[in-house]
Amino acid sequence: MGNTIGLRCQVSSFILEPNFSHERNSAKAPLLLCNHLHMSTETEIIPNNDQELVARTQGGDPSAFDELVVRYSPRLYGLIYHMTSNHEDTNDLLQDVFSKAYRSICNFRGKSSFYTWMHSISVNMTINFLKKRNRRQHPSLNDPDSNIENDPDFIAATSNGNGDPTKQVSIHELQKKLNTAMMKLSHDHRIVVTMFDIQGMPHAEIAKILKISEGTVRSRLFYAHRQLQNSLHEFKKN
Amino acid sequence: MSHEKMHRVIRLKRYEQPPEGYFDDFLRDFHRRQRAELLKPSVRTLLMERLHALLSEFRVPSMAFAGAAALAVIASIAIISHPAQSTAPRAFAASYQQTPVTIPKMQPVSLRVDPQSQRSGSLFPPAYMLNARPANHESPLSF
Repeated sequence: MGNTIGLRCQVSSFILEPNFSHERNSAKAPLLLCNHLHMSTETEIIPNNDQELVARTQGGDPSAFDELVVRYSPRLYGLIYHMTSNHEDTNDLLQDVFSKAYRSICNFRGKSSFYTWMHSISVNMTINFLKKRNRRQHPSLNDPDSNIENDPDFIAATSNGNGDPTKQVSIHELQKKLNTAMMKLSHDHRIVVTMFDIQGMPHAEIAKILKISEGTVRSRLFYAHRQLQNSLHEFKKN
Repeated sequence: MSHEKMHRVIRLKRYEQPPEGYFDDFLRDFHRRQRAELLKPSVRTLLMERLHALLSEFRVPSMAFAGAAALAVIASIAIISHPAQSTAPRAFAASYQQTPVTIPKMQPVSLRVDPQSQRSGSLFPPAYMLNARPANHESPLSF
């Protein structure tokens, strides 16, 4: 099964030629993407599926990169969206992130996982974008999934504790308050809250992506939670 | 609100999802943008094209470029083979090459003996008088 076999890259020269055909299992030899890599006839099994897709992309198979886009776009979308609070900005940034990753994939040597590499690109580009955007931010929030209504945490957060439905706050009201509280955080604090609280990433992974120590991740989280508590305390009182 | 409660409330944001079908369209959009990027010439390409167009308007024969290049090489060799000397001694020498100050010609002044002083006796030495005018009539500098 050709797709599950990783291909080793070797130093060689080749002609760069863009190929946008996305046919899987093409009989044609794939055109090479990187000028220092080529597909070896010698094959070896690579257990990590990302590595295999990366090797195929480096070998000039664009369909392999498509698989990586499909695999990573929901997760990276969430990361960028919760940082920007704007769907349109997120869409543009995510496109740029994948374009940059595709252009730079020849430089990816596998020292870190592809997952970490992609997240690092996304974080850097998002923070750069936010620095440029500065104050001109207009939130464009996505509607929460209807499943939120059945989430016990949502019920607990929106009821007044007496079970009185008339006192319940709406989904949109909660969303607005959460977003306002998040946007009050600095970029550095918001990114750790997004990765840890919303995306459920472990401290070690966050530390690797942000190139900081785990202790710094914990302290940033602590500080961010305290700020969020203050912001949401007002919401609870109202 | 404890940190655990805070964590649970913030986690509710994961329900905010893009419109349905967004991720299906995303890949198509990505391909479209990639093609557009390929068609869009880079700044460097544009600059080179313009430079080429500008040079082609001059219609300079190709041998002229070779001649100019050879001239540049000769000039650079000449500059290298004659290393520039320090300018400090030159400046010092130049200060001495300035126009010298012209000193007006001095005319000899003749003296004559005052005949009255000769008559008065030999107790006093004869008085001498200037027989010529001074060279100029400028008033002497006062100190």
